[in-house]
Amino acid sequence: MNYLYFLYMEFLAKHNIPQLFGDITFFCIPITIIFAALLVIVLALVLFERKLLGWFTQRKGPNRVGFWGVLQTLADAFKLLCKENITPSGANRFLFNLAPIMMFTPALVVLGIIPYSSEFTFISTETNLLLFVIFSALPVLSILIGGKSSDNKYALLGAVRNIAQILAYELPIAFSLMSIMVLASSMNLTGIMLAQSTKYGALGWFWIPCFIGFVVIFICTLAELNRCPFDLPEAESELICGYNTEYSGMRFALFYLGEYTLLLANALFISILFLGGYLSPFGKYISPILFSQNVGNIVLYFEQAFWLFLKAFFVIFIVIWIRATMPRMASFDLLKFSWCRLLPVSILNLFIVIIIKYFGGLYA
Amino acid sequence: MLKNILKLLISLLNVGKHLFKRPVTLEYPEKKNSKPENFRGVPVVNKCIKCGTCINVCPSGAIQIEENQFFINLKKCIFCGNCSYYCPVKAIKMSDKYETAVSDKNELILTYDIKVSEVKDV
Amino acid sequence: MNSTFLKLNLGPQHPSTHGVLRLILEMQGEKIISCEPDIGYLHRGMEKMAEKMSYIRYLPTVDRIDYLAGFFYSELFCRTVESALELDLSERVKYIRVLLLELNRIASHLLWIGAFLMDLGAVSPFFYVFRERELILKYFEKITGQRMMNNYFVFGGVRHDIFDLDDVEEFLKILQNKIQDYNKIITDNPIFVQRTLSKGILAPDLAVNSSITGVNLRASGVKLDFRENDYLYKDIEFNPAVLNGKDSLSRYKARIEELQTSSEIIKQCLEKLKEHTNFRNDLVNPINLKLPTGEFYSQIEAPRGLASCFIKSDGGTSPYRLKWRTGSYYSVNLLRHLLKGEYLNDAIAIAGSLDIILPEVDK
Repeated sequence: MNYLYFLYMEFLAKHNIPQLFGDITFFCIPITIIFAALLVIVLALVLFERKLLGWFTQRKGPNRVGFWGVLQTLADAFKLLCKENITPSGANRFLFNLAPIMMFTPALVVLGIIPYSSEFTFISTETNLLLFVIFSALPVLSILIGGKSSDNKYALLGAVRNIAQILAYELPIAFSLMSIMVLASSMNLTGIMLAQSTKYGALGWFWIPCFIGFVVIFICTLAELNRCPFDLPEAESELICGYNTEYSGMRFALFYLGEYTLLLANALFISILFLGGYLSPFGKYISPILFSQNVGNIVLYFEQAFWLFLKAFFVIFIVIWIRATMPRMASFDLLKFSWCRLLPVSILNLFIVIIIKYFGGLYA
Repeated sequence: MLKNILKLLISLLNVGKHLFKRPVTLEYPEKKNSKPENFRGVPVVNKCIKCGTCINVCPSGAIQIEENQFFINLKKCIFCGNCSYYCPVKAIKMSDKYETAVSDKNELILTYDIKVSEVKDV
Repeated sequence: MNSTFLKLNLGPQHPSTHGVLRLILEMQGEKIISCEPDIGYLHRGMEKMAEKMSYIRYLPTVDRIDYLAGFFYSELFCRTVESALELDLSERVKYIRVLLLELNRIASHLLWIGAFLMDLGAVSPFFYVFRERELILKYFEKITGQRMMNNYFVFGGVRHDIFDLDDVEEFLKILQNKIQDYNKIITDNPIFVQRTLSKGILAPDLAVNSSITGVNLRASGVKLDFRENDYLYKDIEFNPAVLNGKDSLSRYKARIEELQTSSEIIKQCLEKLKEHTNFRNDLVNPINLKLPTGEFYSQIEAPRGLASCFIKSDGGTSPYRLKWRTGSYYSVNLLRHLLKGEYLNDAIAIAGSLDIILPEVDK
């Protein structure tokens, strides 16, 4: 973030504000702005999904609250905020209250790992990738806690199903990530992304050499996010609402928002690993051509973020499309599918990638 | 396996094509379906001869006739249209009004003046 | 006393019990050890009610026995009374009735397809079938004045002549296209096939012994369609779909086939209606309608199996005893056998595939 830091300090120096203040606030301001923006994006995401589901079924989707229904999610969140928080009498109060928080917090942490543009990463360590995997799998713990503590048989079944599901689907993810590490020779998300930058643009991204891994990770992400056709933990026609059957009011809203934040984070993650992250699909950024150097450098960050979110929303679009089409899988078929199909295929993918890497070419 | 993937893609595409179709839903309070001619909405009484056929055929006992007043209790009415179908002089007609929500329950008891309509007829 | 079993009350307020069915399940993990259906949450006393009401007053209420196939029960009640009074229907009235019945059957099966897919977790087909069903309901509204509780059949005829038959022809054309669509979206979908193929096997013996009729029976390979002996369908040629799969998938396919069969019947009806243009009702005075003393019985092939009506009359203005036989009632009882040993998510799919409508079960 050197360039931005420099600009900010220059701005403060002009107005005679001490540098210490700048050092402290420099990290607070963008973080606040970004997280507010991300929350807005998550709210928009809920609307996006409902609108799309509407269009897929020749309906209009939400169109009452605000122009074109834009305020619908906000209205829903407000409604949930006003509702009573009901705790079942048999529930373990502490764990019951803890679960939604444990769902939402890792989801926010995960967003901090994503490199949004070349100057904008909150947490950038050498092993970013592992950090992401760990944090994005953490909500399963909150689902278990929520399901177990709410003293409801449906919730318990949902939680147990989720554990089995996550255990089955983490392994193919690990193997596919390994192939990415091999290709990029890096475990840092920025490093992985920059390894994809070639003059060929979209053709140089990892989705081509690692196509099987791309598909495997996409499917596993669906399973990890409990999205259709793997939405067994909250299968509404079987388990009513699964692990969050007993949750109401704000606690339900936290679960709900946490889920969508994770969806966004995972979509960003996939687009970084396979779709070139913030790289432009044309191989060159547009803003340096349009603007002079000073302005162009700042606009560039926004352009990079734009490409990243465009790709992420493309991934989310596919996720919603699948939700609109597919019936739910049966629980045992689901586990079988992972252990017998995805796992061997992802190992095969690893070998293919190693061979590609060995013989070099574009991806060496 | 490959065949199954192909089939999945076909079903995805067939759902996806609906994105380009016009929505079939109506924004209800603003836009309404036109009601057909013999729609069975709220019954309207005109020129009753007090024969009492409607009372006999009404399944829910929603009709009551007094001296010179005709009551239809919409709280009980099931809009079956028996009264209008069996009325010998077609005095009861089912209108196309179907939005019957009111703020006061008593407004649901429709009162029709029999005398006045007879005078009008003469 | 076995503490290893999890006792689960599925319903009565559960999203996929199609109303208010309560299944008391004993489970080991997700495996169902035993299932005990509990009905009666929607009991409205339709049979007892008849004993207090005159025939004409009772007629509008019979639509509500099965809100998805109101015409069938209306027809059934009219038919029983007509057989008691020995009324004669004119040809045109007969074909009008068949036309509306088959349209209603299509509407009912369409809704079932949507609800079944909803049980399996697919959201879109539910809205697609409602889109097609809307066309039928609009036509019903045009003809009868109401969308669901039609009350269009009267003793000895129908309320008034039918019109706008072009709408029906147009609908049939649309339906053909949409069935193709359903096949692409649903029938060929591997996940759907995986969820339904050889799940919930209903052996023909079990089906016959449990008094299962209608599509569920025909999907188990038994050719039994009460329309074939029905006097309304006398001059109409059709082949009821008989499938040998015995599983949920063949029950689904049988209903898709049934849509085709019904379309065929409707096409023939449209032809016949063009021939018989003379509309004549054989009406009776409804107010003092009395049935002769005796027992009267009639039956019809409703979308959910054989429906029949039995009236015992003592010569009064209301029946001494009236009994309805409905198809779903027997399907619910079947759950006891079919769900045993299945996993919970298969159980939902199996229960959905039987097409249970709770108002019809509880009456």
